[in-house]
Amino acid sequence: MPSPFPFPKEHSFPPFYTPQINLSTRHAQLSKWSSLILSFCRHHRIFRISLSDATASPTATVYPLFNNGAINRRLDLSYIREIVEFMRRDGRAEWCSPTAAGGGESRGGGGGGGGTKGDKEGGDLVWVYWRTPEEWAGLLERWVEETGNKGGVLTVYELTEGEGTRGSEFWGLDQELLIKAIQVLVKKGKAQTMGGEDNLGVKFF
Amino acid sequence: MFLKHIDLTTALRPSYLPDEDLLFVQDNVGLYEGKFKLPNQQNGQVYLTSHRICYVDKAEPRKYSVALDLKDVERYEFYAGFLKSSPKVTLIPKATKRSSLQQRSPAHVSIPSRSGNSSPAHRQEGALRVSPVEPTPVSTATWVCTICSFSNPVPSNFDPTAANAHTPLPPCLACGIKPTLTHVLKAAISNASTRQPSGPALQTPLPVRPKQISELTSPQSPGLTAPPRSSDPDASFHCPRCTFANHPSLLSCEICGASLISHDIPTNLAQSPRPTTESPGPFLNSIAPAPVGLESPENVKFSFRRGGEKIFYERLKGCMTQRKWLLQNAPPIPKSSRSDGANGVPGAVGSSEPERQRPKIGGIAGLERQTQAMRKNNELVIGNAFEDLEALMASAKEIVALAESFAKQVKGAGGSSASENALLAESASQLGLITTKDIVGSNGGDSLYLSELARTLAEFLTDDRRGVLRKAGGVISLVDLWAMFNRARGGVELVSPADFEKAANLWEKLELPVRLRVFKSGVKVVQGKDRTDESTIGALLAWMKDLHEFPPEREVPWDWHEFGRGVTARDVAERFGWSIGVAEEELEMAEEKGVLCREEGIEGLKFWENFIDTGEGKGYKDEATLKAELTLKMLKESGFI
Repeated sequence: MPSPFPFPKEHSFPPFYTPQINLSTRHAQLSKWSSLILSFCRHHRIFRISLSDATASPTATVYPLFNNGAINRRLDLSYIREIVEFMRRDGRAEWCSPTAAGGGESRGGGGGGGGTKGDKEGGDLVWVYWRTPEEWAGLLERWVEETGNKGGVLTVYELTEGEGTRGSEFWGLDQELLIKAIQVLVKKGKAQTMGGEDNLGVKFF
Repeated sequence: MFLKHIDLTTALRPSYLPDEDLLFVQDNVGLYEGKFKLPNQQNGQVYLTSHRICYVDKAEPRKYSVALDLKDVERYEFYAGFLKSSPKVTLIPKATKRSSLQQRSPAHVSIPSRSGNSSPAHRQEGALRVSPVEPTPVSTATWVCTICSFSNPVPSNFDPTAANAHTPLPPCLACGIKPTLTHVLKAAISNASTRQPSGPALQTPLPVRPKQISELTSPQSPGLTAPPRSSDPDASFHCPRCTFANHPSLLSCEICGASLISHDIPTNLAQSPRPTTESPGPFLNSIAPAPVGLESPENVKFSFRRGGEKIFYERLKGCMTQRKWLLQNAPPIPKSSRSDGANGVPGAVGSSEPERQRPKIGGIAGLERQTQAMRKNNELVIGNAFEDLEALMASAKEIVALAESFAKQVKGAGGSSASENALLAESASQLGLITTKDIVGSNGGDSLYLSELARTLAEFLTDDRRGVLRKAGGVISLVDLWAMFNRARGGVELVSPADFEKAANLWEKLELPVRLRVFKSGVKVVQGKDRTDESTIGALLAWMKDLHEFPPEREVPWDWHEFGRGVTARDVAERFGWSIGVAEEELEMAEEKGVLCREEGIEGLKFWENFIDTGEGKGYKDEATLKAELTLKMLKESGFI
């Protein structure tokens, strides 16, 4: 188990859990929460957050992020959604749908606004991009070059769980996120996908 | 120097002497010295008090405000105005250098035969004090006989406050039937109440008719530039009641017996109607009786450019008669004497005589006697007031004052808990200088009343004795102030909320030391001018910093060394002595400025030092504004704007 996450001091500042009225204070509050969420997820290598877990199940890893038992304060779900929306505009989060990755945009708008629409459409899961798919793609590309895998074919399973990638940044990466990264490479013409759903293979150029 | 520089209060009004009474205020007044305008004193307000006439300049009040003591005034004259020349009141100072003979001669000329029976107190003053305008002690009050409807004069020694069933009353002059006491009392009181309310003038004559003046003076001074009267060249005197034209030398109407207009006005005017233009020509035409005024470079004229001169003159006459300044050095006057005066009781001269003798009896006996006299007087006032409903109306003010002082005594006996009420009762009497609508010149309209009210309020607020503002932590809501002010007025001359608000809005314009502030929510508060948002925030922050040092009363889970603690509006209100509404507004103001941040929790809304926005957010503003600013700057540099 990794060492406990060192929370910043704001995390134990009671007003941090109340949506601020003053616009510039609110902006500062949103960006502080945003960077807190990102660094927390980076520390725990969390790629997506379930909002219901984060607010309601005390056993989840992500629970302490929005709940500070020491000062008996917790962040309201609707405000979390607003933070996520703020991060999404920054390119650091995305509402994720279990079916189609492309539909995130539209649902994200609904989820950030009030929460009711997001709930209905399953806006519970959020990608947290402490590295964006583009950044992951860059890492992947560099790894391919360094390890001489250019022209080779690797499966997604190999990339995330395989012995060859152990120790690299993306070992243990969420498969869906990896696929997003690969899509980026495909668009750039640096890779090509092959094979079926279960056994997706990637050929790097 | 006749005109002296004066000190002004914080509200730019003359600061009054201890027992000085404000009688009249009029704006738009200019000053002349001799025949020349004083360049810096051409637009200001004139305050007539029982002791002085103060001029407060509108543009440079601290620099050019002056006053003259009425005790230095030898004579005063009235000029009704002609065409473009405004009505003026001229005050001629006593010239100590002059021999009394010289003084006397004009006085003799101007005083009609009646002046011979002026009050004994007056005679003591000697020649220097001889004033041509001494009203006669003849009472102008009349009572109408119920039997034959003949109008009888109320006897001059009749004192409504002292009269009782045993007071001898003269029978009707026509039918010989004795009137009832209440009848005469009513007549006396109604006569007193029609006069100016504050001036305990002995016998203010019937309404002055300035037009008549010229008609009277014309035969005596043909060279005058007074407006020629087409009618009545024979200077006959219209009775104010039955309009019968009497011979000018008559004192009372031949037909109905009403006393005629006081003769002092015409005689004064005979000397005064200078054209008051700067041209010296007509000046020389002024008749001989005015060498003092003519020679003295120091005679001072008040030019009334927006009316009010008649009331001013009337009241000036009243207080010249009373000569309150004589009492200035005397020990504080017991209350009863004041109520006597305010009643406008005929024969007050007589009653003021024992007043002056009173201090001679010293020690406990004197005090006892004084209290006894006062009690007796109170008894009489109350007795009179309830005898008749009208009488009650007429003496309402005294009764209120009495009731108040009784209440104070009762409270004083009860204990010190009612200190605030005592303070208010106290301040009610201190508010003797209140501005009421009848003090202010009528022609000035509401604006003068409002500006005077604004000044009164500013004084009320900044007065150190009362410390209204200080006790409220420097901020008080307008509604609270309104309530307090009206309570301090003791239930009389109340100010309507509309007038009050209008007056409060004038503070800024009049450059008074208090200002009205409107919070976001629309709440209006009053605070000192020196008190800004920055200073408030500074005070709040300093307090919050203290909270880092001192541990909170109970255990808190967060690091209070780091964050201090949250404060509610109630905490702030307690700490700074503000009302809760004000505290809320101030906190929200500080939040608005980004100094504080909020925390909504089960304990309510709390405010904390802003540890969220620690600088990163400052640059946020918003990009559109920044861009616009940048564009504007560039445009300016390139010379397009």
